[in-house]
Amino acid sequence: MTTHPAREGRRLRGGGPRGGTVVAFLTPFFLPFALFYLVPVGYALWQSFRVIRRTGGQFGHAYTTFGGFDQYAQVFRNSEFGASLGRVALFGIVQVPVMLFVALIMALLLDTPLLRIKSFFRIAAFMPYAVPGVIAAIMWSFLYSPQLSPIVDLLNGIGLRPDFLGPGAVLWSAANISTWLWTGYNMLIMFSALQSIPQELYEAAKIDGASNWAVAWRIKVPIIAPSIILTTVFSIIGTLQLYAEPAVLRQISSNISSTFTPNMLAYAVASGNNYQQAAAISVTIAVITFVLSFGFMKLTAKRAGL
Amino acid sequence: MPAASIWEEDMSIVARRIRLAGAAFTALAGVAALTACSSSSSPGSTSDAASCKPAGGTVTLQYWNTVPGMDQIVALWNQKNPTIKVEIKNVSNDQYGQIGNALKAGTAPELAQVGYDELANLRIQDAFVDASACTDATAAKDKFVPWTWSQTSFGGTGVFAMPQDTGPMALFVRSDIFQKHGVAIPKTWDEYAAAAQKLHAADPNLTITFFDPNNAEWFNGLLWQNSARMYQYADNKWQVTVDSTQSQQVAEYWQKLIAAKLVRTDLANTSPPMYAAYEKNQVATYVGAAWAYGMFRDNLPKQAGEWTIVPMPTWGSNPASGDWGGSTVAFMKGNKHLYESVKFNVWLNSDPEAVALENKQGLYPASLAGLQLPALSAGVPYYDNEKIFDVFADSSKNIDTNFAWGPTQKTVNLALQDAMAKAAAGNGTLRDALKAAQDKALSSMKDQAIPAVAG
Amino acid sequence: MSGRPKESRISRTAATALMVLLALYFLLPLYFLIVAATKPQADLVSTFGLWFSHFDLVGNLRTLLAQRDGIFGRWALNSVIYAVVGAAIGTLISALCGYALAKFRFRGRNFLFSVILGGVLVPGTALALPLFLLFSATGIVDTYLAVLLPSVVSPFGVYLARIFANAAVPDELIESARLDGAGEFRTFFSVSFRLMTPSLVTVFLFQFVGIWNNFFLPLVMLQRESLFPITLGLYEWNGQASRASLLQGSVITGSLVSIVPLIIVFILLQRFWRTGLAAGSIK
Repeated sequence: MTTHPAREGRRLRGGGPRGGTVVAFLTPFFLPFALFYLVPVGYALWQSFRVIRRTGGQFGHAYTTFGGFDQYAQVFRNSEFGASLGRVALFGIVQVPVMLFVALIMALLLDTPLLRIKSFFRIAAFMPYAVPGVIAAIMWSFLYSPQLSPIVDLLNGIGLRPDFLGPGAVLWSAANISTWLWTGYNMLIMFSALQSIPQELYEAAKIDGASNWAVAWRIKVPIIAPSIILTTVFSIIGTLQLYAEPAVLRQISSNISSTFTPNMLAYAVASGNNYQQAAAISVTIAVITFVLSFGFMKLTAKRAGL
Repeated sequence: MPAASIWEEDMSIVARRIRLAGAAFTALAGVAALTACSSSSSPGSTSDAASCKPAGGTVTLQYWNTVPGMDQIVALWNQKNPTIKVEIKNVSNDQYGQIGNALKAGTAPELAQVGYDELANLRIQDAFVDASACTDATAAKDKFVPWTWSQTSFGGTGVFAMPQDTGPMALFVRSDIFQKHGVAIPKTWDEYAAAAQKLHAADPNLTITFFDPNNAEWFNGLLWQNSARMYQYADNKWQVTVDSTQSQQVAEYWQKLIAAKLVRTDLANTSPPMYAAYEKNQVATYVGAAWAYGMFRDNLPKQAGEWTIVPMPTWGSNPASGDWGGSTVAFMKGNKHLYESVKFNVWLNSDPEAVALENKQGLYPASLAGLQLPALSAGVPYYDNEKIFDVFADSSKNIDTNFAWGPTQKTVNLALQDAMAKAAAGNGTLRDALKAAQDKALSSMKDQAIPAVAG
Repeated sequence: MSGRPKESRISRTAATALMVLLALYFLLPLYFLIVAATKPQADLVSTFGLWFSHFDLVGNLRTLLAQRDGIFGRWALNSVIYAVVGAAIGTLISALCGYALAKFRFRGRNFLFSVILGGVLVPGTALALPLFLLFSATGIVDTYLAVLLPSVVSPFGVYLARIFANAAVPDELIESARLDGAGEFRTFFSVSFRLMTPSLVTVFLFQFVGIWNNFFLPLVMLQRESLFPITLGLYEWNGQASRASLLQGSVITGSLVSIVPLIIVFILLQRFWRTGLAAGSIK
């Protein structure tokens, strides 16, 4: 490298690197991104505007042709779609707030001197994140199964006959698996946010003699509101995509239909070889997800006074 | 003082730029549309029988199936036929999903196990190759039980698959339980219902059988027994009568038993809890097919001698029986070695040595040679040395040969199962389930542009 | 010590009790899995689930690895391939892109970044079926690439990399390298990359876990068992276990085996998680 004579102050180089170099830095990501994020969406969108036709006869050959919004009309006419959407909505309305509330309480408690051995609790809560969703669902399916579960054994011992896989309970059994999987992760996000609050903010409150709980609710929670919003948005997105947990429970319970969640419906329709309809369902789910998560963010961003 | 997070600022950038992003997406969608233009196939002529020429060298065939132990028979073939090498793959997990995906991807095997009830479904997707140009294929017609051949040829002259096995139904009975409670083994469905009542009254922990709502194939067999023809072809259209009067009769019968709690609904067929229930003497009969005879022998060895097999209960004096399951081995689209595939397929399903080995795995043969197997005229030790296969042989003589499967059978089965599960949980009835299946049949056929009317 | 509110004994006990209960909730299934994996198949139903019976972990492991011609070992290898290769490539391209978005000025920079943010909001499962439709039309289904290619794309990785680039690499350093005549790539690899390395480990870990845990994409893309990752393989066995009860023990043992490596990695590399989550949440 050639040495440069002493510089006079800072020289501002206009623009920085050449366009070609910038493209070279960006392309390795954006090319795969375009190919595997954008193009599939475009392709699914295109497929969703097509319908199947046949040349007639008992086993006529199939071909596809432009069908306008037929597939989308079909999605909205489909009672199974509405039912599956209703189920995940119910799931989400209960599971997300419960999980995030528990995560918040845990994060707050870990942020106080109330606890010793904090690292043990942190690790314990975060362990489920290391478990793939399918494996967690399999583990819990053993804990729900009347033949294998020690929990069922214990509850039977005190006279209760729980049916975790029954028609009313199975949705919540699936919700429990999601809660188990994600509470620790969400807690850690909130906890990290708490940890970065500068101590000075507490001084004034403590001098006034405010209790720990007042400090928590009046100061800490509002400050970490962005991370609570973030975890909520990701939880909403995740809930609408629900597939693995009900699919595993379906292997041992007849109370989970093949179209229990929107993604299961999309998959079942694709397995029934109606790719055009499956594409329309996928696009619809994606749009609903985007609207809900984006809408929630805009709503709370205003409320949080940011 | 809460500072706006970078995240929040970033998200407002998104809001401002969302229109631009939308334009980009649309542009890309256009690009995708152009590149994907070729994926739609145009209407073509009906398939002609593919040509049948020997390859003249060593050929490898892929054979997908779900029967465990089939690899032994394949190994036997490979030993005897070094120039036609068969590789077997087990696709028990989501068999039709795997086959469907492979067809779409163009990676389908030469031969695949396809249940009778899925033949129409796959044919409608152009999944098969017509092997009738091979003389060995058309000559094989005489080797099989007539109703099986009519299903693999769809009532015509094409040869799309070789029948492999069938599942003629009968009633498996714990004769000791019936004896203990002094109940005669029922011969008709009316007697069966009465026996159900007596047995349950004598022992509240005992039910006459179980109703598995997740088993559309079993239920279809019961409908078949009552001559409930769900699909017929006339006038260039499929006539759909899933909820015909005969179907409804079967549905109402079982609904009564379920409502009176005379049958259990919490057991899944062939699951460990099911065997546990039989082991604890909580269930007295099993409405099953021929291929199930080994199930109890293998899983409940201590009950040897206590089981007997009698003809299925009948509807009045009509001796008709039903079939549950059974499979064929089909020639799949893209098969470039038809000659060799036919040779293997015919051997696999009608050669006495092969069929004997398959029978040991529990398959009840569809071939006439198979029905002559010595093993099938011997008494079976587990069943008190009775000649149980005589019962199945009689049963198969009484199977309605006009019963046909629909072109969206898989979807309809799923809908039927979902609705039967609801009925079993007390939410709706089995007749509602039939209606749901009927609706689903019509709507799924309409989605696929298959001409169909309610019949 | 002055000014700190007193924590009462009661508060402390209550808080600890609550956390202990929650910790039990999180650890119970893992404990059950460990116990169940040590039991011979027959004991699973007949003995109490939360305590050991005849200890036979080694026997179960042998059965697991021999099951169905040793396919489990293949599945484990596949998971490692998908996760390591996917995350490695993914981290590299995310680093390059995030760095450019952070440090280079160019037209359309904000637009591209908002595209990234939009991508972060799109969950992988939403893309799986559309990807399948596209791949099956072009014939890449049922190959390693079918899972690897989509896995390298991680908008969240770019997002993190941009933050880390801003935080770890001072502008002055880049300026002086430019003044010295070094090209951008050289600057990146010899200077910036080294500074970003600790944070890029976080990016790698996030992506690694995401790919390792991915289920829906392989489910949709793969038919050949020999290509399955562990998640898909065990799901398939679990589905068959209701018919072939002998598989149940292998499902349990296999589940344990699939979790242990990741848990060990987690415990050892705790600090990277905390850094990453902190950056993602508050910055």
